[in-house]
Amino acid sequence: MRILVVDDSRAMRLIVTRTLRQAGFSGHEIIEAEDGKAAFDIVAAKKVDLILSDWNMPHMTGIEFLRALRASRKSTPFCFVTSEGSEEMREQASAAGAIGLIAKPFTPEAFSDVLSTVVTT
Amino acid sequence: MSAIDEFEAAREDLEALLIEVLGTVAGEEAMPVWDEVLPTGPVVMSRLAIHDEDDGSFTMVEIRTSSAVARVLASRMLFTPDPGPEDLLDAIGELGNIAGGNVKSLLRHSCRLSLPTAEVHEELEVTPQVPGVTVRAAVLGQVVELSVHIPDDVSGLCWPGAAPEPRTVTQP
Repeated sequence: MRILVVDDSRAMRLIVTRTLRQAGFSGHEIIEAEDGKAAFDIVAAKKVDLILSDWNMPHMTGIEFLRALRASRKSTPFCFVTSEGSEEMREQASAAGAIGLIAKPFTPEAFSDVLSTVVTT
Repeated sequence: MSAIDEFEAAREDLEALLIEVLGTVAGEEAMPVWDEVLPTGPVVMSRLAIHDEDDGSFTMVEIRTSSAVARVLASRMLFTPDPGPEDLLDAIGELGNIAGGNVKSLLRHSCRLSLPTAEVHEELEVTPQVPGVTVRAAVLGQVVELSVHIPDDVSGLCWPGAAPEPRTVTQP
């Protein structure tokens, strides 16, 4: 699988990648983008099997990215990994077509719980 | 209830939040402290704001720690033995972002969170007496502060979806 990790913090992109491995999801190709706009351009250019995206980012937010993705008829599984985990945001994420929202700080178990249906181990 | 009373009522939750975030990021247990302060010397600080667009109010969330702790945190977060100045700011900015998001979930559900900014100060500046709450925890043998307060100045912040301000990097 090719997994796109989107976050404006390089540290967080690395932590997400490490946590994927700790959750047992290893052996996948990980590619990175630092905001929604760069991520959207990547998805337009190449096949991506899963997107793990922050919510608050410069240039294009995660929710704007997801809505743009769905408006362009791309159904790539999309999960938020964000510092805000309120019920309101979870509802917004779900309504826009996300498969889940993992709140920071997170554990490998949180990744397993949300991603096990879409990522092979 | 005033915003300050609200922050004060949430003091224990803020302490728990800081300990959880630090423990996860540092990979070792953090402990609450009440009578210790930041050491003298360079301080790395991140700040972000929560904006209530209904009443126009802002809540500022700041994380402060020594550059020594920031260096270890950056090393652990970025998996590098020798993090550079940009790495320090990225790591502490992200620490502030995680703390800010959790403060928002705790206190300000339907508001807007800014992006974090981070900077190094040669010495801890004497903070003006702003209304708010500061909680402290010890990790890696030193203090980390989380401050939640009503700011008198929100200039220099970046907001999601907008182009960020260029970051100034100084060697601590």
